[in-house]
Amino acid sequence: MADMLNVALSGLRAFQTALNTTSNNISNASTPGYSRERVDLSAQPGQGVAGLTVGAGVSVAGISRYSDDLLSAQMRSASSSYSRLDAYADKAGDLNNLFSDSTTGLTASLQDFTNALQSVANTPADTSARQTLLSQAGGLVTRLQSYQAQLDQTDADVNDQLRADATSISSIAQNIAQLNQQIAVATGSGNTPNDLLDARDQQLANLAALVDTSVVKQDDGSVNVFIGKGQPLVVGGQASQVVAQTDQFIPNRVTLAFQSSSGTMDITSSLSGGSVGGLLDFRSEMLDPERNELGRIAVALTDVTNAQHQAGQDLYGDMGGAFFAVGGVEVLGGKGNTGSATLSATRTDTGQLTAADYILRYDGSNWQVQRTDTGAAVAYTVGSGGALQFDGLSVAVSGSAQAGDQFMVQPTSGAIDGMQVLITDPSRIAAAAPIRTAAASGNTGTATISDGEVLDAGNAALRSPVTIEFDGAGNWQALDSTNAVLASGAYAAGGNIDVNGWRVQVSGQPAAGDSFTVSSNVGGTGDNRNALKLAAVLNQGVLTGGSESLDAAANRLVSTVGVATNQANTNRDAQKIIYDDSSSAVDSLSGVNLDEEAADMLRYQQAYQAAAQMISTAQTLFETILSAVNS
Amino acid sequence: MSSYRISTAGQQSAAIAQMLQQQALIAKTQQQVSSGVRVQTPADDPVAESRILSIQNAQSQLDQYGKNADAATDRLNQGEQALADLATLLQRIQELAEQANSGAMDDTSLNSIATELKSHVSDLQQIANRQDSNGEYLFAGYSTGTQPFAGSGGGMTYVGDQGVRQLQIGASQTVADGIPGQQVFMDIPQGNGTFTVTAGSNSGTGVIGVQQVVDAAQWNAAVAANAAATPPLANQYTIRFTDPDGDGTADSWELLDANGNPVMDNGTPPAAVTGTYTDGGSISFDGIQFTLSGQPAAGDTFQVQPAGTESMFQTLNDLITALGNGNGTPQLQTQLGTALNKALSQLDNGLNNAINLRTEVGARLSSLDTASSLRDDLNAQLTTSLSNTQDVDMAQAIGQLNQQMLGLQAAQAAYTRIGQLSLFDYLR
Repeated sequence: MADMLNVALSGLRAFQTALNTTSNNISNASTPGYSRERVDLSAQPGQGVAGLTVGAGVSVAGISRYSDDLLSAQMRSASSSYSRLDAYADKAGDLNNLFSDSTTGLTASLQDFTNALQSVANTPADTSARQTLLSQAGGLVTRLQSYQAQLDQTDADVNDQLRADATSISSIAQNIAQLNQQIAVATGSGNTPNDLLDARDQQLANLAALVDTSVVKQDDGSVNVFIGKGQPLVVGGQASQVVAQTDQFIPNRVTLAFQSSSGTMDITSSLSGGSVGGLLDFRSEMLDPERNELGRIAVALTDVTNAQHQAGQDLYGDMGGAFFAVGGVEVLGGKGNTGSATLSATRTDTGQLTAADYILRYDGSNWQVQRTDTGAAVAYTVGSGGALQFDGLSVAVSGSAQAGDQFMVQPTSGAIDGMQVLITDPSRIAAAAPIRTAAASGNTGTATISDGEVLDAGNAALRSPVTIEFDGAGNWQALDSTNAVLASGAYAAGGNIDVNGWRVQVSGQPAAGDSFTVSSNVGGTGDNRNALKLAAVLNQGVLTGGSESLDAAANRLVSTVGVATNQANTNRDAQKIIYDDSSSAVDSLSGVNLDEEAADMLRYQQAYQAAAQMISTAQTLFETILSAVNS
Repeated sequence: MSSYRISTAGQQSAAIAQMLQQQALIAKTQQQVSSGVRVQTPADDPVAESRILSIQNAQSQLDQYGKNADAATDRLNQGEQALADLATLLQRIQELAEQANSGAMDDTSLNSIATELKSHVSDLQQIANRQDSNGEYLFAGYSTGTQPFAGSGGGMTYVGDQGVRQLQIGASQTVADGIPGQQVFMDIPQGNGTFTVTAGSNSGTGVIGVQQVVDAAQWNAAVAANAAATPPLANQYTIRFTDPDGDGTADSWELLDANGNPVMDNGTPPAAVTGTYTDGGSISFDGIQFTLSGQPAAGDTFQVQPAGTESMFQTLNDLITALGNGNGTPQLQTQLGTALNKALSQLDNGLNNAINLRTEVGARLSSLDTASSLRDDLNAQLTTSLSNTQDVDMAQAIGQLNQQMLGLQAAQAAYTRIGQLSLFDYLR
């Protein structure tokens, strides 16, 4: 009887534990990271009596959780990839929105500027058309600067998020280390700390969303976590930190460093995956190239506009001045430089400029130039004064560099900040050409002279009067105002006659004694030739070796952002499916299903009731015996 | 494979995620339908976006070309009006000159003609210095801010330049929006455009008549030969009347070059070029010919030279001077006749010039018309392309929207129904 009671009692206890576990599962049905638990029952071996062994009831061997390290690792890896793409696509979306309005975009601003030039060409003497041109030029600069400002803002957002992510990584690392300690203690004393394990898995998953990790399980139940190129973030109960610090070249750029007892080390380039990886990739793959490209467009715009404007003549009869100003090449010295060298860089050829930044390293005897985007070495030539010349840049070195000194050269990223319209007086717009040509009125031949073009706007004698005379023997000579011969030659119809920095062509048949004059166009307030040329150069190829127009470059800038964003969204969506799959695999194993729990509850309840009934039966049996004895 | 377990929370969150996704799709489609634009951001369709930018650019450019063409049309119309006014004025002056030439005129009537002509001088100046609606001088070349014709009477000079402003009316098409004043008023070809004959200070009554080119090649060769000579010889011939038989009538002429030497022919041996004169007969040499009437005196000269140009102001001024001198003596009568002949020929040349220029302006205006309709065609084409590239296919988008809404409704219905299912409901 006593055995029967004990056996039934063990059942009662076991099923009570099982019902408690089911209740716990039901209660945690919506708890993130909770792994459902089960009671492991085992039959208690009975004691053999007279060759018969009757079981001694049931015992609870343990409460274990449904989890699979492999599935968890897969989910972490998928989460890392997804978070990276998500952060990337999110930031790409910011740029994409920046360029979304095609009617107010850079392309439209450029076209408005060109149109305003055409309007000046229609009525060159009209101040209101000139004023409109200046305000369109201002609008163009504002447009470029607002793009730049928003790119800078995006850069600042990236910095802020990296700082926040570094803090999160460090605090998660700290949490994992603490959980490791507690788990090791519990495991050492033979317990299975299910809740702690769940909590640690949850922390590991959170960490994986921030940065790619590798997790190695130890015998004592703790895990070691590595990031980057094997930097030990957590070893047992010890955690290191990831800190945000200032880039060694660029003062307003955040990089990440690994801080442990043995010192601080920059690990930015070795971090991948997670939102940190996504932000870093976005910064180097999209943000920097786009900003440099925008700067390159600004440089080219300034360059071609100024060159043509300076070859024209304004309403005062003066040669045109510079139209736009643009910021120079930025040179940033490395933090650890020990030499006294300073570098100054200038742009020499807009057509050769790239959208890349460069690192210049001194190895003790030579400079090495490397592109930051591709990492490729760049060949350079040494120009006058030892200046390094490459990709449309000339970098002059003064002072002496020490081996290991390095500098960053940014050809275009600072261009737009320094951009402004230099012309403020509408009459200073050089819409006219500086020279005019005329046939002498007594000419008897059929020859005509072209309008002339300026080859060298800086020629001091450009606008001095010159007479081109033809003799009867098929020769011409160009005479200045003192009748000194400046140039002469045999006449070829349509051939170039280059004098004093200008070029004209005479065609047709000049008669002996016929003459033409080339003179200053002062007073030519109705002349629009230079305005037309300005409008034309804006549509000509000036970038990338002269193959790409400003317009096309602006267009490409937008479509590059569009393609990259589209790609990022597609990648993100694809990775989302993988991530969802892996997390539902984990969920499928570890998640609580209420119907299942209801069935379990029924099952355990019935068993519990049966065990209770056994106790009642044992009591009845016992009373039967007692009454038999008493009677 | 064992059946797949699904956690209750996972099932719920999956259902909710699906509904959220449906809603996001609906929001996107709704945005497309309400704005009518399919490509909302570059990422929606990068290739289309690039094309949209190009098309919008091209349209903006076309728009500007249209404005340019309007400006050109405006100025050309004003130029055409000025040329029409000029032609009318020249015709009136011609009438007056012909009236003066009709004979039976005394000094008084000549004077009154001269007086009217004087008023036409200022009319002519006004046309020449006319400004357009922007205050720019129409006939000043590039120097549109400076009055192009300055001075007075025959000494009127052109201070504008020979520049012709071009306006861009197509990607590779420009049109000139004006004509330099030099061409309109100053460079009027003299005589027949090849050579001119002018009378010296003659005492006879020889009046120059019809001048014509018989053999242009011969004349050009002679002109070129003079220029190629060492040293070059100016192209000026003098016909001098002589009286070799001493009968008191100058019935012969000789030809002298610019240096006063007799011109020799190509014979062997070369002989001096000479001729005999009869009233109304012609004098010809080197491929040119002109008639002479009246009786020149011995020693009277007529200069022949390649035609140059003369300004309308000069022509008008000479005419007024000649009329003012009257026809009181036979000599003055001869001079007046010569001057009237010359003036009529110059006025004719000037009128022809004005008509030709007007034709040219008309041609430019018609090319503007052509360009305008080309622009319209291109613009219509671009608008269609833009619409095809950028716009939503409404039928399709609305169909899509309906489908997505149906999907959402289904997801919501399924969620509420399935969410109610629980085994616990049956445990009572």
